[in-house]
Amino acid sequence: MKDIINVKQLKQHILTGISYFIPLVVGAGLTMAIGRAMAGQSVANLGESGLGYWLYQTGSLGMQLMVPMLCAYIAFSMGGKPALAPGFIIGWVAQNINTGFIGGMIGGIVVGIIVNACKKYVRLPKSLEALTGMLIIPFLATAVSGLLMYAVIRGPIVWLMAVLTDFLQSMSKGSRFMYGGVLGAMATFDFGGPVNKTATAFVNALYAEGIRDAKTVQIIASMIQPFGIAISCLIAKNKYTRAEKETLKAAVPMGCFMISEGVIPIAARDLVRVVLACVCGSFVAGGMSMMWGNSSELLNGGFIAFPFFSSPVQGLICLAAGSAVTGIILAVIKKPVTEEEERAGENLGRELSEKDLDDIDIEVIG
Amino acid sequence: MKMVGVAACTAGIAHTYIAREKLLKSARLRGHEITCETQGNIGIEDELNPRDIEEADVVILAVDVAINKMERFDGKKIIKVDTSTLIRNPIGFIQKVEKVIDR
Repeated sequence: MKDIINVKQLKQHILTGISYFIPLVVGAGLTMAIGRAMAGQSVANLGESGLGYWLYQTGSLGMQLMVPMLCAYIAFSMGGKPALAPGFIIGWVAQNINTGFIGGMIGGIVVGIIVNACKKYVRLPKSLEALTGMLIIPFLATAVSGLLMYAVIRGPIVWLMAVLTDFLQSMSKGSRFMYGGVLGAMATFDFGGPVNKTATAFVNALYAEGIRDAKTVQIIASMIQPFGIAISCLIAKNKYTRAEKETLKAAVPMGCFMISEGVIPIAARDLVRVVLACVCGSFVAGGMSMMWGNSSELLNGGFIAFPFFSSPVQGLICLAAGSAVTGIILAVIKKPVTEEEERAGENLGRELSEKDLDDIDIEVIG
Repeated sequence: MKMVGVAACTAGIAHTYIAREKLLKSARLRGHEITCETQGNIGIEDELNPRDIEEADVVILAVDVAINKMERFDGKKIIKVDTSTLIRNPIGFIQKVEKVIDR
């Protein structure tokens, strides 16, 4: 069973998918944002050719590859090279049946399982062995996972997303501050994960209908994590390890363009506190932005989008307020880096007794 | 003993390189010969020399994600560890490697 799916390593597989898809989101997202920015008021201004249109098209086509890429590299991480092609196909299926991010993740895992099962159980005569990798695995993994995606997986995910969308829609009828707050909180909650993507899908749907204040909330909220964490690091330097400070140096510039994935390593060490602080900050920022009804012409791009807000100044105020809230809360609740973690940043550790050695978690292969 | 290593973390920005540095320093401090490549967001850097892999007694994978070119290590003894575990106590980790390989 362990060589088909090792639950302990599931996190590694998903992280692999994410590590491959971050550059895609950055490349495609920025290209699209710049193209969109050149259009001014409406995408229609771009016409059917020209620099802006080409950039916008390139980027938006690229964004469609996001889910396939994630799915493919989760499958790749589990089943190696033979899983890559089926992974791309199933990811594309997930994209097209609107199961989005969650569908892609589950699809990747399903492909991985099937590929590993094929490797283990499909035994061909020696002379035909080459067919396993060339024919059997790509075909079986694609066909079986595809059937599962349509028949089994689509239903529950679409249902879940519908429930969330309904919830958001009902919120929009109540207090605007609460509504913006919840949207903002969702945008930051899981660092570009499924909740964030559901909020994105909802906000994009509104945007398509010409309701553009929700988009502003999301753009601002997505930038709160890196800035808020950076602020808390400035306030409380002793609460971050050397590695984390290095990570922040890259995460803040990424944050300027609304890419929050850069802070994932920092969140991973202290998940509950970081998420709590980020959610509070983006709740405040989202609420304020929605209350003011600030609307955005651009779909993403971070600071590139600010000049296209109905009020760029309000946008900056919301961003600053939210980041400050996150920074202060985090600076207060985060624990100082312990002796042990600090040493992790500077020293090489120490020799251990036989008993302590057993606590070091490694995996021996071969 | 002789070791080769690969370091890779999720974002491929910081932990990958810290893990490499610590692995190299701690292994050398304990008298081992080691080379280590990184697979960060820029791709493979300091790529392992096939001869070093051939001669190595053990392959150390300090990785949080799946890596490329795993087939180079087919048939080798491999020890896999999270970058965070390695970074927490590199010396202790090398000690553990010595224990495991001695057996």
